[in-house]
Amino acid sequence: MSRHFLEGGSIGLHRFALFTSFCTAFLIFVGGLVTSTESGLAVPDWPLSYGMFFPPMVGGIFYEHGHRMVAAFVGFLTVILTIWTCATEKRAWVRRLSVAAFFAVLTQGILGGLTVIYLLPTAISMTHACLAQTFFCLVVSLALFTSPGWKNGLPSVTDKSAGIGLPALCGLTTAAIYLQLILGALMRHTDSGLAIPDFPLAFGRIIPPFNSPNIAIHFAHRLGATIVTGTIIWTFSRIAREFKSYRMLFRPALTMFALVVVQLTLGALTVLTAKSVVPTTAHVATGAVILGTSVVLTLRAFGMSGHEWKPGRARQSGI
Amino acid sequence: MPKRLVFVCSSILVLALAAACGGGGNDTSGLPPAPAGGAPGGATFDMATATGTVSGKIAFEGTPPPAARIQMSADPYCAMSATPETSVSEEVKVSDGGLENVIVYVKTAPAGLTFATPAAPIVIDQKGCHYSPHVFTMMVRQPLEVRNSDMTLHNIHVWAETNTPVNIGQAVQGMKNNINLDKEEVPLPIRCDVHRWMNSFAGVFSHPFHTVSGAGGAYSLKLPPGTYEIVAWHEKYGMKTQMVTVAGSETKDLGFSFSAAAAAD
Ligand SMILES: [Cu+2]
Repeated sequence: MSRHFLEGGSIGLHRFALFTSFCTAFLIFVGGLVTSTESGLAVPDWPLSYGMFFPPMVGGIFYEHGHRMVAAFVGFLTVILTIWTCATEKRAWVRRLSVAAFFAVLTQGILGGLTVIYLLPTAISMTHACLAQTFFCLVVSLALFTSPGWKNGLPSVTDKSAGIGLPALCGLTTAAIYLQLILGALMRHTDSGLAIPDFPLAFGRIIPPFNSPNIAIHFAHRLGATIVTGTIIWTFSRIAREFKSYRMLFRPALTMFALVVVQLTLGALTVLTAKSVVPTTAHVATGAVILGTSVVLTLRAFGMSGHEWKPGRARQSGI
Repeated sequence: MPKRLVFVCSSILVLALAAACGGGGNDTSGLPPAPAGGAPGGATFDMATATGTVSGKIAFEGTPPPAARIQMSADPYCAMSATPETSVSEEVKVSDGGLENVIVYVKTAPAGLTFATPAAPIVIDQKGCHYSPHVFTMMVRQPLEVRNSDMTLHNIHVWAETNTPVNIGQAVQGMKNNINLDKEEVPLPIRCDVHRWMNSFAGVFSHPFHTVSGAGGAYSLKLPPGTYEIVAWHEKYGMKTQMVTVAGSETKDLGFSFSAAAAAD
């Protein structure tokens, strides 16, 4: 590894952050598998598994211990990412962000252990699921901030239309997606995924009878899907209309739009196949990728809007 | 900036160590054996005074669903050691038109009595990736011993709501663990999360008036004279209750009936 490769100005750190992001998306898929296959308690002890580092990977242990191994790998990558960033990165706020990612992955590991020891209490399992998404956003934004495109300075764009600005619209979309993921986690961890057994209608109606909290949670997630789809279409059409020439904006917007179509299909399949493992888990992972894409888009929209904020200042100071 | 680097590295190391060591002290496998003897205060009930008998058949109406074959390929050991008995689901077991594995019990025991806790342990064995017995009853604080007779690993997960939930791993053949159940709870599901098909149901009672229907759906309860509400519970077909009065040493016939059409799901 040459000295140049390690330097903050090099592309090595960016590629490494990108690799960590891919591994994290895969980890979210594997974590989703544990819940989808109800294997969360197939290994009753933590941090060891049946007192071993590598138990036989039979039955539910395959999913639970597999998740632990992938998680340990991502934790290891994050430690390297944090050290590498802190050692070579000149922007203090990027260094701080990498430290935040490290603490997030550490907390995530401990929460994962607590879910096992306290037999999957909803609050801890849900926090574990939501922190996974937050951690993913952190790693994705680190990959973005270390990218040549960002560091060479984003082009400045001016919002032509009146009303809500593009950065605010993108921020709104990201917030809506994040809330929707929290609702999704709540639905999974309260076992409400089939509380409404039909789709697209709910018990043959538009508004279901709210006989149980599970139905309310499930319906809130469907309502959330409508809102998120609405904001994504709004964001995408706005960018397609006004900023189509800016690939940095158009590409993530298009990706997000395509993914939400996939996501709606997977959500419907989850209900229609009675929570068959593959569509259910793919629905979780796709949700994370949509959030990550939206975060990239939002950060770029802010970066290009010419607003006075940290990355802009860093750029002005010649870094 | 070497100073900063050293600081970051060392804090990461310390935190990682703390994380690895945390939570290690939570081992539920060493539960103390349950104490024998009944609740304090009051004369201990003598089973010899339970002179009456309530017995009958848990009839099954309609055609029983075909027993589902269990797919055990997730663990090669299980697939290899499966027998004709262990490789079909015991959820609905009908013989001679009677439903087996129904927990039959007295809902409320006569007031003012104290019941001795049997010292003999109830044993659940895990053999061929199968729990035996599939359904059983016991008294609160009666020793419950779980054995692993398999050359694979199991976790015993007691899905208690009233009692303290338990999840114990048994990694090697021959392991034994005691589980302490100190509150009434029926049904109490027990499951293995490694082998999802492995399940068992317990009924935990503060009195000795409970049993499980056997071959032909037959059951029998010894009771002191009195009037009782008798409950029959089945994992798929749910719960039925009937009132009965027994006097002296008479035997009352009390049949229950579950029907294929009334599946709980
Ligand atoms: Cu098992």
